[in-house]
Amino acid sequence: MIEIKEVTKKFQDKKTSVTALKHISFSVKKGQTIGLLGENGAGKTTLLRSIATLISPTEGTITVAGFDTEKQPSEIKRKIGVLFGGETGLYDRLTARENLVYFASLYGLSKHETKVRIDDLSKMFGMRDYLDRKVGGFSKGMRQKVAIARTLIHNPDIILFDEPTTGLDITSSNVFRQLVHQLKREGKTIIFSSHIMEEVSLLCDSVAMIHKGELVHYGTLEDLYRSEGTKDLNYIFMSKLVRGDRHYAS
Amino acid sequence: MLLNIFKKEMKDSFRDRRTLLLTVILPIVMMTGLVLFYENLVSDGSDETYTLAVDQSIPTEVTSGLEQMGNIELITSDSPEEMVREGEALAALSFDETFTTRVENGEPAEAVLTGDSFSQNASILMNMVTTVLTQYEQVIVAERLEAAGTDLSMIEPFVINQQELSQENTNVNLIAMLIPLILSIAIGVGASPSAADLFAGEKERKTMEALLMTPVNRMNLLTAKWLTIASIGTITGIITLAVVILEIFLLTENLKGALSLSDNAVPVIAAALLTTVMFAMFTATLLMIASIAGKTVKEAQSYATPVTMISIFPLMIITGIGVNELTNTHFMIPVLNIFTILKELSFGIVDVQHILLMAGSNLLCVVIAFVVGRVMFLKDKWVMS
Repeated sequence: MIEIKEVTKKFQDKKTSVTALKHISFSVKKGQTIGLLGENGAGKTTLLRSIATLISPTEGTITVAGFDTEKQPSEIKRKIGVLFGGETGLYDRLTARENLVYFASLYGLSKHETKVRIDDLSKMFGMRDYLDRKVGGFSKGMRQKVAIARTLIHNPDIILFDEPTTGLDITSSNVFRQLVHQLKREGKTIIFSSHIMEEVSLLCDSVAMIHKGELVHYGTLEDLYRSEGTKDLNYIFMSKLVRGDRHYAS
Repeated sequence: MLLNIFKKEMKDSFRDRRTLLLTVILPIVMMTGLVLFYENLVSDGSDETYTLAVDQSIPTEVTSGLEQMGNIELITSDSPEEMVREGEALAALSFDETFTTRVENGEPAEAVLTGDSFSQNASILMNMVTTVLTQYEQVIVAERLEAAGTDLSMIEPFVINQQELSQENTNVNLIAMLIPLILSIAIGVGASPSAADLFAGEKERKTMEALLMTPVNRMNLLTAKWLTIASIGTITGIITLAVVILEIFLLTENLKGALSLSDNAVPVIAAALLTTVMFAMFTATLLMIASIAGKTVKEAQSYATPVTMISIFPLMIITGIGVNELTNTHFMIPVLNIFTILKELSFGIVDVQHILLMAGSNLLCVVIAFVVGRVMFLKDKWVMS
């Protein structure tokens, strides 16, 4: 479903050059849920943005559902839904429904399709009571639900979440976790970045750990637990980072 | 698709109180203030009554001359200057106690006129008093020449008759500066909040990423957003023009006398609307670039400030140039040509060649600036937060 081959991303200006990703390679099968782990600035968001065709890799290739991110971004965009941050990407002066209708129109959904989809999503997230209220007055949890609904409005096969529960309360985080379970049942392919190990171990089949732009581990959680001899993902993550740092030092 | 984005952007912009305030309310307030200020500026003061303090020694000829002015109220006082200082009179006129005798004897005499020449009303009064004193002086000179057996024509061999080139009311020159100045500032100020919000605002709120994740191509996004800024600028411009013209007709006397649309009202209005649209498009493109360059709304507004103030420079250039001195070059320089075209229109001149030059040069600049904006918008560093 997603093939990442030798991807390197450099951000350059006249004075500085920062390599955000270094020769990253891994593949994600249809229906898999991948947790992307790494410290702040490790390169998680850059990788997600590259998969989402928002930025171009400096080297390497990414194919999503058989389409190249560089050559066929439009085809990929129709198949992918992205949520950067838990509550972003909404127009405060529009109602929740107007936000959803607008994005549906951008994805080329007909009026009937849009109506059906909004009905389904508002039922799924319990948004009916505030669907026709302006988003500007919403709580974080309400905004998050609308943002997720916007991400799913075109019923994408692949969904990318960038730290979706950061800053959310327990109730809102639980709503997100239930949603991921439901999307998994529907056979969607999901990649999400997170700092919360408990969330990753609960929701993901596999993990990709990125440290200073390099992929330090990629594999299923089961294999990881077996090879490390523990199910403490937090401990495993920290030890991987320490090993990664020793590797750089040597 | 483009229409969908445009409709959403317009709806979103007009739900922003700042847009409503700056597009509709501010032009009305700003226009009213400026129109009334200019009306006051060109007023000859005939409706006002001015208080002049005089002493007992004032000659009867001067008194009757001042009374004939019709709007000068005389207050007699032993100390006229004191009356001015206390604010009870605008100016003071004092004469030497022996003034009349000295004049009759042909000896040097002095009249003292005191007032604050920085005050508009005091200045008007002092001019009127000077006129009366000059007339009195001329009468005395004529009497003395006659007594000496000399004809008055000896010292006045010819009369200077100064005529205005244009038959139009001279106040039309003020209108020719007032309207484009107000129009250009109003368009810049009116379109500025939406422009900042549509690119920098979207980056700041991260809605830009959500937009870029849709299959809509960036050119469509850019065009729809530019069209929104240009439309808001045009709406502001049209409201401004309508408010200015209505206020001139309803609230002023002198400016109304100068503004005559009866001869060729339709072409003048059509050309003024075209000029408004052209300037709104030009401004929208510059504001769009400023907004793409800004990472936040605040930063974009800082970049946009010079754009909204850009009309000050042409105003300084055009103020001293007569309508007959305008060349094709004046109609080919963007922003300046808004002033030159509207100057011609204020004089009732509809020159198709000049209008085409103005439209063509503005369109060319819009296209060039739009291409710059497009190049920026296609680069990740300008669109990603």
